[in-house]
Amino acid sequence: MAAEMALTVRGLTKAFGRKAVDGLELEIAPGEFYALLGPNGAGKTTSLRMIAGLMRPDAGEISVFGRDVVRAPLRAKEIMAWIPDEPLLYDRLSPLEYLEFVAGLWRVEPKVARARAEGLLDTLGLWAHRHERCEGFSRGMKQKTVLAGALIHEPRFLLLDEPLTGLDAAASRLVKALLRQQTDRGAAIILTTHILEVAERLATRIGILAGGRLLAEGDLAALRAEAGLEHGSLEDVFLNLTAA
Amino acid sequence: MSGLLAPPGFLWLLRHELRVLWRGSILVRTHRHVLIPVVAVGLVFQAVALLLAWRITRHPLAEAQMLLAANINLIVLGLLMLSRGITAAIDVLYGRGDVDFLLASPLDPGHVLACRMLGIAVSIAAPWLLLMGVLANGLAAFGQVWALAAYPVVLAEGLVVAAASLTLVVGLVGRVGPARARRLGHTLSLFVGLGIFVLGQAPRFVAQAKLAAFWSLLLPARGGGGAGFVFARALVGRGGDLALSLALAALVFGGVWRGLAGPFARGAISAAAYRPPGRPGAQGGRFRRSVFGALLAKDLRQLARYPGMVTQVVYRSLTLVPVLLILTGRFNIADGLVVTVPLLVFLAGQLGLFFISVLRANDLIPDLVASSPVAGAWVRRAELAASAHAALLVLVLPVLGVVARAPDLAGVLALGLAGVLLSNLVLGQRLPMPLPRPGLGKSQSGTVLGLILGVSVSSFWALGVWLLAAPNPLAWLRHGL
Repeated sequence: MAAEMALTVRGLTKAFGRKAVDGLELEIAPGEFYALLGPNGAGKTTSLRMIAGLMRPDAGEISVFGRDVVRAPLRAKEIMAWIPDEPLLYDRLSPLEYLEFVAGLWRVEPKVARARAEGLLDTLGLWAHRHERCEGFSRGMKQKTVLAGALIHEPRFLLLDEPLTGLDAAASRLVKALLRQQTDRGAAIILTTHILEVAERLATRIGILAGGRLLAEGDLAALRAEAGLEHGSLEDVFLNLTAA
Repeated sequence: MSGLLAPPGFLWLLRHELRVLWRGSILVRTHRHVLIPVVAVGLVFQAVALLLAWRITRHPLAEAQMLLAANINLIVLGLLMLSRGITAAIDVLYGRGDVDFLLASPLDPGHVLACRMLGIAVSIAAPWLLLMGVLANGLAAFGQVWALAAYPVVLAEGLVVAAASLTLVVGLVGRVGPARARRLGHTLSLFVGLGIFVLGQAPRFVAQAKLAAFWSLLLPARGGGGAGFVFARALVGRGGDLALSLALAALVFGGVWRGLAGPFARGAISAAAYRPPGRPGAQGGRFRRSVFGALLAKDLRQLARYPGMVTQVVYRSLTLVPVLLILTGRFNIADGLVVTVPLLVFLAGQLGLFFISVLRANDLIPDLVASSPVAGAWVRRAELAASAHAALLVLVLPVLGVVARAPDLAGVLALGLAGVLLSNLVLGQRLPMPLPRPGLGKSQSGTVLGLILGVSVSSFWALGVWLLAAPNPLAWLRHGL
């Protein structure tokens, strides 16, 4: 019997006048860190929003650890977390209140939630600010609060849309380490980013999307082969494939 | 002149600012057919103003009384403009993100500041120009052309108050931060509103002779009073004082602009120069397993922390004053306590509509809940519960008072409260009313249609419970006829 995939996407299609996502096929295994790259307007965010259950596809199937996102989205969302590119928070709530709210949405046992919240706030350097309202936070602090919210229910599948935007070098390293911990415990991650270095260093597999279609995927060596390059950085490969 | 009109000239920038202001106004965002009742209400206002003007022309006041009335009017207007000016100045200087964008462009920072100041002046003077304008038009229609002086005088007052607001805000924000400075603006408007109300109620509590003596003390001296009556004299149409008022307004406005232009250009007056420290909130962290509990707690916090919530609730709850007067026996009316039932039901409807509109407007991150394993129905139910809870919290004491004094009214009161809350909350979820100030960087989510329908629903329920509760509900009509 084949091992259960963390994410299976078949023939995913969405059009807003023109096709934003065009028959996308994707598979991600548990514990895998998958980076989805593409130029602006390639369909990355639309794909992620459909996988997160925020947007209904025109056609296609999505399942997360065997749970059908299109037909039973609430069941699928129980094991997912989604972080958008804009760190959207309730400005008038403190980080602790925000985590309390998110934990409530995912029905995390109160004792467990409190322990996790304290741990996450401490790890992310937000403990001293736990009772302050988020309205005065920098973008990086907001981003870290949102990340804490995404991790408080220990999701098995994380969708991250440009998660490192606005973070300084130290915070960025911290977040990368936290994300690695998630894949180490068996969670799968799909992230979109324009920082190719992040994809190169973190991802076990990289997919390149353009015009709503997956042009190529694999590790760096596979992508190089696809692009017909013997050497070269991910940037060279990316530009070569997307220019074609 | 053509240089000022062409980009990036001053008038070009002013046109841009006014266009942004206009597009942000409720009227433009509201569906066109809603403009019909708005225009109809405007015509009704003008008709009422004509009647009022007719009465005024038939009973002309002595000059001293006229000047005192004009001065009190201008002082009250000035204070109301100041409270709105403070919040507008905070939004313009510390809220709108495009200040940095404009300052990074080759535009003259002085022009940017002048445009912003003029924008504040126009926005705080406009409502009063409309209100006083209809009366001025009415008086002019009966041959009192001097009344048209109201237009330039109110505008001049707007300029002075805009300059004062900016000076006050720059000083305040540096010391207490934008949030507290904004709260001061709201508090000021609350006190002005209460002051007007108390003044209106004074004849109920103070003897007529004492009141007359008090007013006579404030009357201007023969000849029209001193410098304190310049704007009042301009308002009653004295040409020299009108010119002096306009010159004074221009001087104050220009002086403040000159004083602030330097620091504004250096970036010392901007959001970037002031980062508010985090404010310790109430101790959170009461983790819940229940989805509904988590949603409800979040909604109640959003309501409690909405800027200007206390002011808005107090304003809307002025309906409670007659209720309290009746309950305490200070005001006697034919049907006694029965009158309080429609008043409370109407207020419940209005409060419910306001609270649900605040929650709808503050739903900044619907994607967070949408990405969670929670059905949308729970979100809506929590909003309904939080809004109803907040409305009943305001009403609990007067409702208990009425029930204690007249237990037979409990049934109809409960029916009215439940009905009006349910109707207006469901309505408000679909058609929230416009809020006095949407969140920073957010466009207004409410509509005039929501407001009109909400008031209609509240009135409908109030009328319904009145017909049910009053022993002879149409008696007043027969007496009137």
